[in-house]
Amino acid sequence: MLALLTPLLATGQPAPQLPPGGAAQLMVPQSVVDRTPLENISATAMFDPPVVPAGGKTFYRVTVDATQNSVDWPDAISAPSELKLGAALSGQISRVEGNRFLPLTSYVYEVKPSAAGHFAISSFVIQANGHAVTVPAAELHVLESNSAPALPARQVLLDVSATNLFVGQPFRVRVLLPAGAGNQIEALREIQFNGSGFMTDKIATRQSVEMVKYEGQQKPAYIFETAATPLAAGSVAISAQGFASGRDFGGPITISGQGQVVISGGAPQYVLLVSDETRLNVRPLPPEGELPGFTGAIGMFHATGPQLSTDHVHVGEPIYLKYNFPSTNLSRFVPPAAPRSREWQIIADPAPGNGFTLIPLTDEVTQTPEIPFSAFDPTTGKYYDLTIFPLPVTVTGDGLPVQLPVWSSTETNAAPLKLSGFATVPGKAVASLKPLQLQGGFVCLQILPVLAFIALWRWDERRRFLEAHPDLVRRRKAKRDLRREKIKMQRAIVAVDEDAFAKHAAMALRIAVAPHLQAEAQALVGADVLAQLDDAGRSGPAGETVRKIFAAADVQFAAIKPSRENLLELQNNLDVVLNGLEEKL
Amino acid sequence: MNHIFSQFQQAARLLGVRWWTAVLVLALACLLVKARAADDASFTRGVESARAGQLSEAGHVFEKSVQARPSAGGFVNLGITEWQRGHAGAAILAWERATWLDPHDARAVQNLKFARAAVQVDEPELRWFETASTWLPANLWLWLAGMSLWLALGALVLPSVFRRRKSGWQQSLAALGLCAFIFSVTANVGVVSRTDIGFVLKKNVPLRLTPTSGSEVTSILSAGEPVRRLKTRGNYFFIRTSVAAGWIEQGQIGLINE
Repeated sequence: MLALLTPLLATGQPAPQLPPGGAAQLMVPQSVVDRTPLENISATAMFDPPVVPAGGKTFYRVTVDATQNSVDWPDAISAPSELKLGAALSGQISRVEGNRFLPLTSYVYEVKPSAAGHFAISSFVIQANGHAVTVPAAELHVLESNSAPALPARQVLLDVSATNLFVGQPFRVRVLLPAGAGNQIEALREIQFNGSGFMTDKIATRQSVEMVKYEGQQKPAYIFETAATPLAAGSVAISAQGFASGRDFGGPITISGQGQVVISGGAPQYVLLVSDETRLNVRPLPPEGELPGFTGAIGMFHATGPQLSTDHVHVGEPIYLKYNFPSTNLSRFVPPAAPRSREWQIIADPAPGNGFTLIPLTDEVTQTPEIPFSAFDPTTGKYYDLTIFPLPVTVTGDGLPVQLPVWSSTETNAAPLKLSGFATVPGKAVASLKPLQLQGGFVCLQILPVLAFIALWRWDERRRFLEAHPDLVRRRKAKRDLRREKIKMQRAIVAVDEDAFAKHAAMALRIAVAPHLQAEAQALVGADVLAQLDDAGRSGPAGETVRKIFAAADVQFAAIKPSRENLLELQNNLDVVLNGLEEKL
Repeated sequence: MNHIFSQFQQAARLLGVRWWTAVLVLALACLLVKARAADDASFTRGVESARAGQLSEAGHVFEKSVQARPSAGGFVNLGITEWQRGHAGAAILAWERATWLDPHDARAVQNLKFARAAVQVDEPELRWFETASTWLPANLWLWLAGMSLWLALGALVLPSVFRRRKSGWQQSLAALGLCAFIFSVTANVGVVSRTDIGFVLKKNVPLRLTPTSGSEVTSILSAGEPVRRLKTRGNYFFIRTSVAAGWIEQGQIGLINE
């Protein structure tokens, strides 16, 4: 039973996991890594060239058949005092011998002999892979300083496009290996640039064979070209090194120019060559005049106008804004950063991108956001503006439903199923949405009824007072009437109407004394007026004036009208009488 | 010209006013009529734009119209255009403002019910005196309070001032005025209290623990959700919804009376 169940219980063996392309790698024939015994490591040493004049330049080169990491190279080596050794440069390359990979490590010293003679760097022992390896002695023959060298020191040349640079400004760097005797060209492998404070491009490289001017004549040369960027300000030293490797170009190469070029056959002899040091003067970018949107782009760029994938979009839908800033020379383009916007979600393309994905968050926008961008022109030493200006765009909002499904109405307390139509008239309107309750004006308006009630109360109070004092009312009435009669008297005087003057004068006198007698003015006679005068007045001109006035006023009742004196002359005396009576009111 | 002016003077004399008073009244009337005509023209232009499908332009026209002179019809139409543009919060706020001006505006009431059913948000929770205040337009309550108070006082005081005997109907009128005044005072309190009610304008608005932009988000509010403002600090309101309380940026809600 258990045996029968075994196939069901057994778990399958997992399939072997291969890296991408692993299968293909297994199928391609690979060279065999050298597995010779480690104690068989050998080393060679030589001066190149072995004969130089005093003050000339030669290279002391040691080559070890081991990997660079396995070699324990001494910090200093013993050399005659006449030989001035420079800093050690080293490199490693793998050479193929038959069907085997063999490591090769070279150490190179620049040597400048100061005196003529025969010198040697004696043999010494180094450790490689934990074993002692003897570096053989090397001899150098130094001639007098005025004698010409038999062979020039073989080295590579370093050519940079500019030595006065700004931090971040890219520059072209070329490593040249001029052709040897018989225009024989050799390739360079494992090229590397020595120094700190700069960065070289490992991808955008190019190798070619071109005619160059070398030592006063046109010569073909192998050229390796790439770009570098200074990273720090100050004086930066740069040098190059590479292995001369015969015809082993290791990739495509362009051969151009006129002249004959010889590429030798046979197995390459790997020789580590170094260049002289070149100094770069690197300046920091000026902080003044920096424009918004500067991301580090350096060079001369031209704005060609951004392009929008579409100019009609719904809220939340992405559109693509593509920009292009072509450059005419070697430049460093750092794409503009996405600005922050409340109305747009802006996503920059991952480097090296040339666009933005824009997502409108509202339909209020009518144009794409402005994207600030600027660059630095190393030629003029100034920043310049490359802002991506807004483009018109129509954004449509998400439509909300204008009609609900029928079943919804039963669940939402019979909510209407559709939106109403537009109102055709403005309807009820106010000056402000702020209610009157929160405005001071209405409270002020309430003062009016309060004032009305106060006025009513005052009026009632006065009315009650006057009711309690009727003589006051009569006197005031008499004063008013007296003023009226005086006006009429003046009119009669102006009109020289003696009858009217006499009538209004008598009436005025009656009105002036009526309050004292508590009688109607119409009912009074001259005797009543005279009774209100004092004794002196009664017998004096005042009494006489009163009598004459009343006599003239009573003429209307006489059958035969007597002749009378000029009444208007009584005006002055009458005024005195009336003023006296008015003062008593 | 002189003839016309003399006739105008005569007409003014017949009405019992001075001629320059009549000129002033006429000028004011002309200005009012002109302003009203401009409002109506703007309103009509908005309706035409909306019917032509130019919702964005119609929205701007209605917005300007209600800013110049808030009207119930203007808010109803503004709400419809906002709704059609996908702004549920702004639409609900506009219709609430329409009912603030005219609680019996059928279109506003219908659209509010429809919108709340469509986007699943609640009505604002009103207290009893706030509910009472929704029966009449907000300003009318104040006029009612003022008039009823003075009517009651007048009915009580004026007969004695004019030495008339207080009749039954006068006393009934005073009692009625006093009742109306007391009731309208509570409604007025409701009106003032309702000015703190607002509506969330955008979708997914964060409700924060403290009035700072980097504060912890305690809740997310939907567009059109009613909130009640409790206090203000800087650019933030402390608000309470039916389920949560917290701080919200001022621009993210619209108060009913602003």
